[in-house]
Amino acid sequence: MMRPTIVPAVFYKDPIAALRWLEKAFGFEIASLITDGEGRLAHSELTYKGGALNVGGEWEGPIVGPARMRSPQTVEGINTQFVRIHLDDGLDDHCERARAAGARIVDEPTDQFYGSRTYRALDLEGHVWNFSQEVRVVSGEEMEKATGLKIHTSLSEVGS
Amino acid sequence: MTVTVRPSVVPILWYQRPRDAIDWLCRALGFEALMVVDDGDGGVMHSELRFGDGAIYVVGPPRDGMNGASPRGVNGRNTQHVHLNLAEGLDAHCAQARAEGAAIEREPTDQPYGDRVYTCLDPEGHSWSFGQPVKAMSVAEMAEATGHRIDTPGAHG
Repeated sequence: MMRPTIVPAVFYKDPIAALRWLEKAFGFEIASLITDGEGRLAHSELTYKGGALNVGGEWEGPIVGPARMRSPQTVEGINTQFVRIHLDDGLDDHCERARAAGARIVDEPTDQFYGSRTYRALDLEGHVWNFSQEVRVVSGEEMEKATGLKIHTSLSEVGS
Repeated sequence: MTVTVRPSVVPILWYQRPRDAIDWLCRALGFEALMVVDDGDGGVMHSELRFGDGAIYVVGPPRDGMNGASPRGVNGRNTQHVHLNLAEGLDAHCAQARAEGAAIEREPTDQPYGDRVYTCLDPEGHSWSFGQPVKAMSVAEMAEATGHRIDTPGAHG
């Protein structure tokens, strides 16, 4: 199995339902599913366009110290991380598929100043998913002009 | 400016002090900051940090209506976790993280599924794990070793 370098794990109250929904709504593929003796999900790996992510249930334990893994549903909709997914093409169709499956589209597909077309969706438990497709190559200079923001390529340029 | 890393799946992490976080992630965990976009108000609207052919984006501080928070702002709860697959040097990576103040929660340990793994928390409480393959195992061997049932519907042939 190919292993991407960075793999986010996303936590749900009902991870089995989430897996089914992520397949249907976003087109992710289930690469492996590990269940314990009672049929509960222990670990899962989803793949999408060469990337991978894990879906798991809520948990805590000594191996993560004081951290507690929770669905946004139990943190009043808060996310400590979002997921960005880069598509090569078909962003608008992808959005329609997600909407049809019940995703809440909080930002409709829009061309951004940095050259990407993006949309943002919430899944059934409130995880935030950003989908992005490059539609135009924009230089750093152009971006600064378009936004009035400073764009740095090294922290040493930034005062503390 | 070269931003050459565009993996298909990229986690975006929220921090209360994103500049400190970027600095720390580079020193402690070996990331390289490719791009930092100021939000004009002391925060970071967008940034790209590379590790090998993987990337993360660091943003913050959380603003109203964004649905984002650092784990520090929500009593250590994490709605996601980041796992990194290292090719080599896991123990040295852990030593570097510890020296920079990471809270090592699981010391580097060989796991029954063939990886050596350690876990840590960063200064704002984001949970990280790092793995390195130390023993090639078949799916059947992993199932045997862990006592779990393993289905691989995506595998062909």
